[in-house]
Amino acid sequence: MAALDSEETGLRERAATTALPETERDRERRRIAVLSLPFLALATFGAFVPLVEMVRVSTSTSSFAVEGFTLSAYRELFASILAYLPVVGDAVVPGTDPVYGAVIWNSLWFGAATTVVSVAVGVGIAHALEKYDLPFEGAVVTLVSFPISLPGIVAAFMMIVLFGTTGVLSNAVAVLAGTSPDAVALTGQPSGSTKAILGLFFGYLYSMIPRATFLLRGTYAEVNEDAEAAARSLGASPWETFRYVTLPQIRPGVVGAVILTFRTALAIFGTVLVLKALSVITFRFDQEIQVGFDLPMASALATVFFAFTLLFTFAGLRFTDAEVAEA
Amino acid sequence: MDRLSAAVGRRALVGLVVGCVVFLIGPVVLTFVASFFESWAGVGPSGPLTLTHWAQALGLAETVGASRGLGTWVVDVPATGLAVRIPASLAFSVLLALGGVGVNLVVGIPIAYAVTRYEFAGRDWLNTVAVLPVVPGIVLGIAFLRTYPNLPSAVALVIGYSLLKAPYMVLAVQSSFESMDLRRLEETARSLGASWPRTVATVILPNAKRGILSGSIVCWTLAAAEFNFSYVVYSRGPKPFSLFLFENISNNPFQRAAAAVSIYFLIVAGVTALLRATGERGFSTGGVQ
Repeated sequence: MAALDSEETGLRERAATTALPETERDRERRRIAVLSLPFLALATFGAFVPLVEMVRVSTSTSSFAVEGFTLSAYRELFASILAYLPVVGDAVVPGTDPVYGAVIWNSLWFGAATTVVSVAVGVGIAHALEKYDLPFEGAVVTLVSFPISLPGIVAAFMMIVLFGTTGVLSNAVAVLAGTSPDAVALTGQPSGSTKAILGLFFGYLYSMIPRATFLLRGTYAEVNEDAEAAARSLGASPWETFRYVTLPQIRPGVVGAVILTFRTALAIFGTVLVLKALSVITFRFDQEIQVGFDLPMASALATVFFAFTLLFTFAGLRFTDAEVAEA
Repeated sequence: MDRLSAAVGRRALVGLVVGCVVFLIGPVVLTFVASFFESWAGVGPSGPLTLTHWAQALGLAETVGASRGLGTWVVDVPATGLAVRIPASLAFSVLLALGGVGVNLVVGIPIAYAVTRYEFAGRDWLNTVAVLPVVPGIVLGIAFLRTYPNLPSAVALVIGYSLLKAPYMVLAVQSSFESMDLRRLEETARSLGASWPRTVATVILPNAKRGILSGSIVCWTLAAAEFNFSYVVYSRGPKPFSLFLFENISNNPFQRAAAAVSIYFLIVAGVTALLRATGERGFSTGGVQ
């Protein structure tokens, strides 16, 4: 108790000296407080309070006001996730609609698949940009970074330009194969069909490849080139050099890029909203709010989604020691 | 494998780079070019050249679905009897995004300075929160819906933009601060008699000008196109630019959508040129959506 008291007076003293500083150390503390205050205020009222409110809405018994307390949205959500599991689902929660389980599974596998491809392509581009003396390198860097500024809805439009029924590629393929463009188009196909999902896959890549490339360029800049040169002069082939010298050095960067690109993949919304090819979590939010106006359910789903992203990112970054600042 | 990698490796990677540039930039160029053509039938755009789609997208010409053009203010010019149309919604979006940048200047520069210059408990944690977009736009939007239901759309959007784009400002300013010897600069100025606020205002900030400028440019562009948050939160008032893009893309004939999207391409191209002038190569400070 005494320890607690002294700690409390210590805190109070520190607060007092921060407000009315006496020593240089106090003044520094006041400066840190003053400098951090605007950001903390924005984060509190802009993010923290709304997120807490969102959690409360997810346990509300009404869609129109925050009242009562129920975990029914979460029960429904987790029952649905269970129901999606093969064999186990039917045995534990028979007759439950597995829709949320399906939505979460879609987000995870699609995000993982697009992340793996984007980071692999990113490694290739970063390698070529860093190791080879390419002509127009500055222009290539600018062009590859251009899509970072484009919102997901524009990425979707780019896919329509390439793969839609009036798209360049689908028309070119149709002419060569002698079929109608409708048959080969990837966008505008029924939701869930292989072609539609492939179109969405490219839409995700459009947003993620530039991001992955830039995360990896930072990593490549720190690679020890002497070790590579030594490996080459000792007779290693370029592939061996990459496999045994370069790759171990860039591994933390690759893992960091995978984590941050996967986050991006999970958060993509505009592209799915336009292409409507696969029901992922972000797309489901829209349906919950616009169609069903089930705010508690949308909030519960958003809470789980947010908690997952947060834990995944921090655990992942801590685990790998990847540079967050490269983001 | 060895000989294969030596012979093919380089060519394969260069091919990959070329392929990616075509995949990423090809549709941009096509969209822009197509927006000036009457129609698109077959493999490429066709028909005579026209500015109709642009006039409609900009709201300078009457259309059937007029609401999908950028909203306009019609101003009667006195004495001539002419009515001039001004794309007001575009101007409003420019202001909204600028508001976000304004908040970010007030919020982002101090926090970047605090975490770069000082050692204190919780510094790493604060740094991570400041540079990592922790809340996805759509989740923040859902959270905003219920918490501030009576907040005018414009205010909610500015707050959301500043929150979602703050990391880009912090990163850009931080990279400027990191290239300066902050402690020595500060101590020199202080020992010459300048107060701390004066030191910051006349020595530190002017030296970080480049980072502040490029951070502002990146923030502004990303805020102007922020869709996920805007889509959930917007309720009334002039539409933000990203919603105008969305309505054009999802409801309009291809050519007009192409013109609408091209407006944004022009903005980004201009901004990229500006960034190059400040020494940044494109949107390299941008990472996570």
